[in-house]
Amino acid sequence: MAIYNITVNGEQRQVDVDADTPMLWVLRDSLDMVGTKFGCGIAQCGACTVHLDGNAVRSCSIPVSAVGEAKITTIEGLSEKGDHPLQEAWREHDVPQCGYCQAGQIMNAAAFLSKNPNPSDADIENATHTNICRCATYNRIKAAVKTAAANM
Amino acid sequence: MSNSLKTSRRTFLKVSGTAGGGLILGFNLYSCSTMPDNPIFSNLEINAFILINGDGTATIKAKNPDIGQGVKTSLPMILAEELDLPWEKVTVEQAELDGRLGSQFAGGSTGVKTNYDNLRNAGASVRDVLVRAAANRWEVNAEDCKTEDGFVISGRNKLHYGHLAEEAAQLELSEAPPLKDPQDFKIIGKSKSDVDIKKIVTGQPLYGLDQEVEGMVYATVLKPEVFNSTLTSFDDVEARKLSGVIDIFKIDAMDNPVNRVDGVAVIAENLWTAFKAKKLIKASWKEPKGYITSLKQLKGDFKKGLAAKGEVLRNDGDVAAEFQKSGNVIEATYEVPFISHSQMEPMNFIADVRENEVFLVGPTQTPGSANALASRITGIPRENIQVKFTRIGGGFGRRLGNDYASEAVFISHKIKKPVKLVWSRENDFLGDLYRPAGCYHFKAAMNGTEVKAFDVNICTTSRYLYRGGSPAHGTEAFPDQQPAGMIPNFRVSYSPLLTNIPVGALRTPGVNATTYAYQGFIDELAEKAGMDPIDFQLQMIGDEDRDMPYSDHGGPTYNTKRLRAVINLVKAKSGWGQVNREGISRGFAAQMVFGTYVACIVDVRNISGKIKVDKVYITADCGRVINPIGAEAQVQGGVTDAISAAFYESLELQNGKPQAQNFDQYQKLRMKDSPEVDVSFIANGEAPQGLGEPSYPILFPALTNAVYKATGKRVRELPLKKHGLV
Repeated sequence: MAIYNITVNGEQRQVDVDADTPMLWVLRDSLDMVGTKFGCGIAQCGACTVHLDGNAVRSCSIPVSAVGEAKITTIEGLSEKGDHPLQEAWREHDVPQCGYCQAGQIMNAAAFLSKNPNPSDADIENATHTNICRCATYNRIKAAVKTAAANM
Repeated sequence: MSNSLKTSRRTFLKVSGTAGGGLILGFNLYSCSTMPDNPIFSNLEINAFILINGDGTATIKAKNPDIGQGVKTSLPMILAEELDLPWEKVTVEQAELDGRLGSQFAGGSTGVKTNYDNLRNAGASVRDVLVRAAANRWEVNAEDCKTEDGFVISGRNKLHYGHLAEEAAQLELSEAPPLKDPQDFKIIGKSKSDVDIKKIVTGQPLYGLDQEVEGMVYATVLKPEVFNSTLTSFDDVEARKLSGVIDIFKIDAMDNPVNRVDGVAVIAENLWTAFKAKKLIKASWKEPKGYITSLKQLKGDFKKGLAAKGEVLRNDGDVAAEFQKSGNVIEATYEVPFISHSQMEPMNFIADVRENEVFLVGPTQTPGSANALASRITGIPRENIQVKFTRIGGGFGRRLGNDYASEAVFISHKIKKPVKLVWSRENDFLGDLYRPAGCYHFKAAMNGTEVKAFDVNICTTSRYLYRGGSPAHGTEAFPDQQPAGMIPNFRVSYSPLLTNIPVGALRTPGVNATTYAYQGFIDELAEKAGMDPIDFQLQMIGDEDRDMPYSDHGGPTYNTKRLRAVINLVKAKSGWGQVNREGISRGFAAQMVFGTYVACIVDVRNISGKIKVDKVYITADCGRVINPIGAEAQVQGGVTDAISAAFYESLELQNGKPQAQNFDQYQKLRMKDSPEVDVSFIANGEAPQGLGEPSYPILFPALTNAVYKATGKRVRELPLKKHGLV
């Protein structure tokens, strides 16, 4: 066990965990921020997607010791009032079915739109191909990302 | 973390019994724990479902588990409709296991269909008693009062429900309250977004994996790679050296009444340590006798099973005589693989077993059975066992079995501490209850365009072989499945195959396999007849309006007029036979599934020998649609889920071990392979049926029939990946 100081959603947090503990479990079990989900543990499904300095990363495969000074943003910190254009579009299109993967979907799309605010359909498909939705809400994910892009 | 679910034992509601028993509309009157700001009003529970708040709003209990099928929204909509309260004034709360609410269950697409009448009555009875309370106060006849927007109105008198709740609570509830004319519905039939949407998109703790209880420790379980192996010994010396490991012990097969599989439980102060420790355990396993080592071996077993000529489940006319005299006999064998549920939220459950009471919280499709199992494992009476269930990160039938909940109960009982059990994804593949694999041999005799005889011989790895009391063909072979009753000589035979692969229910159990096989073979018959596949099926169904006997789920009958109607609508919507888009090949299938009628047309492209699904058209008749935006989602999701299974999914074995134990090897459909799905409904006033499942099975044959048109290859064995087609 060792002490790590990390920045999560703009706040300094201190955790005492093993060096190899993935950020996913630091967030969920040490910091009680459970919006970031566990799906596969091997960076395949994208349910655990968070931002590291604005880039979408798989928190299940990044040990806490590798985070350093980088700023972490989770679904809880994506917007203050839950009104990020993607969160609004997700509501407008009623995207979720079970909803379990959707925080990861939104975080993945948010990082993408911040870099490509005017995406083509093909851009959206490529960018969202990384995340599995087991309920297969893909039609609506695509539509919601388009709506969000238009509203940003 | 969820404050509402942090166990506060003071708030435990002891229920008198958890068996079904329908709605109890008798008097349940007690104040809610939180009083409204305005002390003049009280919050009153008028029946077990509805709490009328002092401010005129209502809190409605969502009775069933929501696995993504939307019942946490649609069932309360039905109540609110008859309560005649605007949806904006309704707050939905997840009920826990509560004997007063009747059956609390998610499976078989039954949520809406089995609760529609009861929930209408429950809402109407509360509206009725509020109206009578108002009539008493105003000294007018109840008939002269009406409700609107959550107010009772009579002439110039107008009060909201919150003003009347206290007086209403003094009156008897009517058992047969007046119901609305469906023409006056304001909520049913109007799209409402998921009641949890805001919480989902902001990452609030909704799921089982997000819960915690005071003082809990974490557990995970090591499972054998060859299914149903026996643990002979294990060495945990290295694992115990990890700081934070609390205990490691064997779970004996007999400790878990659901799956009867050996395992090694690892208990630790945090989950990551438990996962790490599990990998350090060196366990020796003894494989079960005659275990399946490869799919090739399974194929041989199916062949033997078919040759054995099993039990005859239906035998109309004389198929053998017809085959003998016919000069036009066609035969084909279809096969489906074991497939995984791979629901996104891994298995987990929290159990807190104490001296003479148990608290459980987690994702389960069958909370009543979790209660019963906990009682069986601990010996603690059922009424002392509280079960809360959460929103569920995917069910698909996997969470009907409470094997994982039982593990949590067993572990907590043994270590005398609250425990949160979490499986890794690898656990999930090693501990899944797979969709049974099956083999379907068809033989038909034709005379011109007419089918004179139809014989299907089925062998599957039935899930009912593991249960007593149910015939092995249950949810595996359906004697009345279309085209039964439409062909004079018709035979269905079945033989089960017992293997070591654990099997269970997956989205339209059995029907997801037979629909593929039957509708694929019928497409072959249409070709043989030289007919358009839609014309061929319509001819077989006939012009007459008939109620066909159907002895399985969705029966007791299905109606040919409704079946023709979905076929005709999907045909029109897709422009079948009218519009020919370049490079597009089309396939068709239609059937009644679980009481809902579905017809599907799939458009595919053949791009250098690889199949790309361009678009799917599907029409459903599920009777009255409660929540259109949710209904469309279910149909789209079912279709796309089926494309995933049809393209990629199969349990592949190497020396008996699953090759795929995570998503790097077990491929799931992603965005770029997901086509547009055009969904239409037949608007009729028929009784509502379920929608979580029926679109799933119909996609398989519509797709493979299109693949045949595009490539000339009949895919009689799934998935397409096996044939190099994706």
